[in-house]
Amino acid sequence: MDSYHTPQSIPRRSASSRPKEHCLGATPLQRRLESVRKQASRAPASPPRRVPQRRSQLREDVDPQKVAFLLHKQWTLYSLTPLYKFSYTNLKEYSKLLSAFIAAEKQKGLAVEVGADLNIRVSFSALRGVKGTHRDPDAVLVQILSKSPLPSESGEVKVLWTGWFCCVFGDSLLETVPEDFTCLPLFLASGAETSTALVGTWFQKTFDCSFSPLAINAFNLSWMAAMWTACQVDRYVATTEFLWSVPCSPQSLDISYAIHPEDAKALWDSVHRAPGEVTQEEVDLFMECLCSHFHRHFKIHLSATRLVRVSTSVASAHTDGKIKILCHKYLIGVLAYLTELAIFQIE
Amino acid sequence: MDETVAEFVKRTILKIPVAEMMTILQAWGFYLKINCRRTSTSGERKESLVHDLVLLCEEKRARVSDAALLDIIYTQFHRHQKVWDVFQMTKEPGGDIDLFDMKQFKSSFKKILQRALKMAQLYPAKEAPQSDSASSHMGNSARLWVILSRGPFACNMSRVINFLVSVTFRDAEENAVWIRIAWGTQYRKPNQYKPTYVVYYPQTPYAFISSSQLRSSIPLLGQALTIASKHHRIVKMDFRSRYLDSLKAIVFEQYNQTFETHNATTPLQERSLGLDINMDSRIIHENRIEKDRVQKITEEVFGDYPQPRLEFAQYKLETKFKSDLNRGILAERNEPLRCLVKFSSPNLLEALKSLAPAGIADAPLSPLLTCIPKKRMNYFKIKDK
Repeated sequence: MDSYHTPQSIPRRSASSRPKEHCLGATPLQRRLESVRKQASRAPASPPRRVPQRRSQLREDVDPQKVAFLLHKQWTLYSLTPLYKFSYTNLKEYSKLLSAFIAAEKQKGLAVEVGADLNIRVSFSALRGVKGTHRDPDAVLVQILSKSPLPSESGEVKVLWTGWFCCVFGDSLLETVPEDFTCLPLFLASGAETSTALVGTWFQKTFDCSFSPLAINAFNLSWMAAMWTACQVDRYVATTEFLWSVPCSPQSLDISYAIHPEDAKALWDSVHRAPGEVTQEEVDLFMECLCSHFHRHFKIHLSATRLVRVSTSVASAHTDGKIKILCHKYLIGVLAYLTELAIFQIE
Repeated sequence: MDETVAEFVKRTILKIPVAEMMTILQAWGFYLKINCRRTSTSGERKESLVHDLVLLCEEKRARVSDAALLDIIYTQFHRHQKVWDVFQMTKEPGGDIDLFDMKQFKSSFKKILQRALKMAQLYPAKEAPQSDSASSHMGNSARLWVILSRGPFACNMSRVINFLVSVTFRDAEENAVWIRIAWGTQYRKPNQYKPTYVVYYPQTPYAFISSSQLRSSIPLLGQALTIASKHHRIVKMDFRSRYLDSLKAIVFEQYNQTFETHNATTPLQERSLGLDINMDSRIIHENRIEKDRVQKITEEVFGDYPQPRLEFAQYKLETKFKSDLNRGILAERNEPLRCLVKFSSPNLLEALKSLAPAGIADAPLSPLLTCIPKKRMNYFKIKDK
């Protein structure tokens, strides 16, 4: 049985007496300080969180092929405020409207690179099953496709741009939003930036929502590294790699620090206590261990440098807000964390 | 002129940026032969210039070797576009001190390479006669070396197969010789578009070889170089960079010349620290002492001259995890933590030099990093003692 799979879907607080827990019963001033500290570190959640689900929560009716293309591709992340009067029954109409909008923008003479010609088509569809709970709305996939000029070649449709909207375990946002709104706080795009901007403009106009790029700071990158290292992967396809960038030197310096995934896992298991959940203290300790091992060899304080990228067999994430998900099993887990970051940014 | 030669000339000229065209062409001996009266190429379209030049080359019957020479000159200008490996050769102790004859070196290098290549194709590695145990772990090249050294000319090879390989030489600055090798097979003419370059400094044990995908040819090349330069063994060092001149400076220990003539003990007190005047004077004093110490140590290690340029250093660590945090983490694990650490920078040594003064590293920096120029290595394997 998998020790990482816990039936509850709400993070469970650890019973141990860590400093964080003391704050719960602290004076108002202490509590305020604590919240300031939380904001300073831009941590969406300091309480313990569950490691990504081993058994994915993808519903059984999900088309595996539809999910496969989400993997091994680099996505740029955005957060998105709730959509006003978005309806899953109107997807066909949205396809037509967005196609027309792109064509109109193109004719305006704006620099829109959506294909050599105007033979493009937009497709909206629901990505059923890409969600955490039944309360999460279905994910929405938008693609800009090139229409083949010759009907005989109709079999070949080229995808020019792909973007998708999702909400995985978005309870905290769902609870606060009125009925007319659909919460899909995480938007992932792959393709020309001009197309992303165009689709974004149309969504903003149509659903009165707003996009903003979702950067991932070092704090959250460390969380991802720890959680993904903790995952049980059938086959390691990549090393656990950290990329650090050294600021304030006349010559830039990049330090790539790759650890054999089995050894990274052994280190994690050594700092990790309660199965099924990860605490801030453990994440900090894991990173401290790696930095201290590095310092022992090179006398360089990685803590004084900038963590810009982490990659594991589960996924890789860049501070610029770029993500690549490699492991099908943990797709939902990765999306849950990203949804959390997106909601934190919106709020 | 052969069509393939014309194409080779054309493609080589096309590579040259317009701004460098005249300089490179004038360095090319054949350019004088084509009697070109151009002294400038500015304001001219590159395509028409190339077209004219190719026509002139055709008229004067340019050969592959002429075009290869132009390619060497281009590569000398753009040496940083290649990645260079350093090779070190050794002589057996007590060997005679030979006078170096460049002419003899060139002719024997070419001959040995051609023969070695011929042998390699006649006797692929599996079928090569097994000889003494010393050669068995050295692979194909060593076996060939045995074949050749047992009587290099004993094999009945009256005919030198010319199309196996084409070799072009160009003498360069500081007595260096640049060698360009285009590789062919028994059945195919040498491929002029994937050559290997060798830069050899006569009477030194060092050669720099451009790295290429044709890994199998490198042993043959090393062997030809070893025999022609009257050495006995060649080893590839764990040292590579795009910056050939820096590799050379490090290998020949030329990088610290400025250091030796420069007074390194400039009074550090004179340098402004830019601290707030209202700060406690004792803190300023403490800071200054610490800053001076770091500065002094950094200069002792790196010197105060510009560092030779390298782009990366790589460390394969297989050391046991030990933590200052002292919580018994991985304490019972005997296996090492396997890590691969890679430092990369447009100027690695300068970047490393700036770490301690910026407060990012301890002073002194780890010897693993500061030993790079001294050890002439940028690939390391680190294990526990």
